[in-house]
Amino acid sequence: MDLEVLIENVLNALAAGITIGCIYGLMCIGLGLIFGIMKIVNFAQGELLMLGMFSSLYLVTGGGILAFMGPYIGPFVGALLAGPIVFAGGCLLHKFLIARVSGLRTAGSLDEGHFGQLIVTLGISLILQNGGLILFGSSPMTVRTPLASSAIEVGPIYGDATVFLNKARMISCAIAIIVAVSLYLVLEYTRMGKALRAAADNPTAATYMGIDTDKVYRLAFGLGCGITAIAGGLMATYLSFGPFVGLDYVIIMYSGVVLGGMGSILGAFWGGLTVGFVQQCSALILPPQLQNAAIFVVFLLIVLLRPQGLFGRSAERA
Amino acid sequence: MLEVTNLSVSYGGLRALTDVTLSVKEGQFVTVVGPNGAGKTTLFKTISGIVPAASGQITFMGENLFGLHPARRAHLGIAHVPEGRQVFKTLTVLENLEMGAYPQAGQRAWHHTLDRIHTLFPILAERATQLAGTLSGGEQQMVAIGRGLACAPRLLMLDEPSMGLAPAVADTIFERVSQIHKEDGVTILLVEQRVAEALELSDHGYVLETGRMVLDGPYETLLQDDRVRKSYLGLS
Repeated sequence: MDLEVLIENVLNALAAGITIGCIYGLMCIGLGLIFGIMKIVNFAQGELLMLGMFSSLYLVTGGGILAFMGPYIGPFVGALLAGPIVFAGGCLLHKFLIARVSGLRTAGSLDEGHFGQLIVTLGISLILQNGGLILFGSSPMTVRTPLASSAIEVGPIYGDATVFLNKARMISCAIAIIVAVSLYLVLEYTRMGKALRAAADNPTAATYMGIDTDKVYRLAFGLGCGITAIAGGLMATYLSFGPFVGLDYVIIMYSGVVLGGMGSILGAFWGGLTVGFVQQCSALILPPQLQNAAIFVVFLLIVLLRPQGLFGRSAERA
Repeated sequence: MLEVTNLSVSYGGLRALTDVTLSVKEGQFVTVVGPNGAGKTTLFKTISGIVPAASGQITFMGENLFGLHPARRAHLGIAHVPEGRQVFKTLTVLENLEMGAYPQAGQRAWHHTLDRIHTLFPILAERATQLAGTLSGGEQQMVAIGRGLACAPRLLMLDEPSMGLAPAVADTIFERVSQIHKEDGVTILLVEQRVAEALELSDHGYVLETGRMVLDGPYETLLQDDRVRKSYLGLS
């Protein structure tokens, strides 16, 4: 009978790993755009996730404008709408602060603006955390949906072993995949997406081509913020969160982006998926306190064996 | 077409250009030669709006360029093929060319210009899906020139296209540039250190030394000047 329990635990951990991993993947894509492609160090990314969660919360619950949609559809529409809201915030942030320490303005400088970005975004992160504390309070919140406490049962597969697929996570996972794939297609095949990649690759040359790099950067930064916010909104359906939730996830995002390979959107997604998967599966053998340690053991192993990341490709001629 | 009048530029606290005047007429092939550090690249960057001018004026087709956002120049029909090629390394060859065609004129003419670019540089058709960063120096230069052509330019500015290339490859590049000028009727402004080859192609030449235009005239006149013969052509 022990075998049945073991099989059930393993299968459930795998299922949770994949569903949560996909949401982490989307979250990492946001940072992948900002850090991986545009090479802007952004320590405030975790707080953007937090803002996504709270945007969704205020849209959906209480007297929120999406309250009429009910607890089944509302939370997911709210998560998607958190995207445009944080996107707008991200564009403003870029226009007034980030643009001064990145892009064409620092293109030729020794550190490419990284020192400035480090301090500026760390400052933004602190302001958002403490501002969040004042505005939202410190008690843990969650965007309630009955779907979070119901599951699809698959099985019994072996003996009594059954896989439980949490409905809220399943829907979140599906939305995450759809958003990630759409973003990938936009970046890969549209004129705008190519201009964005060109501007990130070489801002001076992009200007010679007639690309307004400031505008493109602002858009890309906003997009990176919005994508992470959508992931935040999705996570808010099954997770309780407060103003400091970003701290836990900013590290996960960076490891996901580096794991997947800098500069690759697809890589960032797989990186996030890997991190989520490892985190959930490590729960099988490790106490919960060590879950994040497990992530970094795997992270170090992959970086040791494949320094360019899972999907990193070297564009330089050897 | 392009008029640079009494242009002075300070760059990192140093005076890079002093009182430079230069004129490119429609259909001309104009070359600026000069030693390292003479300010040739700065001149190009100022025309492209990347480096601000201290004083003077630059007009293109009668329009003052100083009031314009740097990115607008490509839309007016100025293509800048920068020093050191500066291709988009993480984009494929084809995507690089597509980015060249970012302005509207380039998009309209895209199918025609792509054919033309592939005729001039057949290797770029073969390498279309390869990342530009993985190409050899000569191939990258071809991408850079192709990218410049893709915006359907009125004026093509080339900054040392032969830099770092094997002599045979450099010869091919010069030949193509000459073809672009003669067959496509594109006005060319070239900066070069290979003085003999460059001047041979051009209608008009300028000699830039330590930020000043010291000499200018048609090819024949420059060839007869003792300083040019001695310093740049190695003749006595």
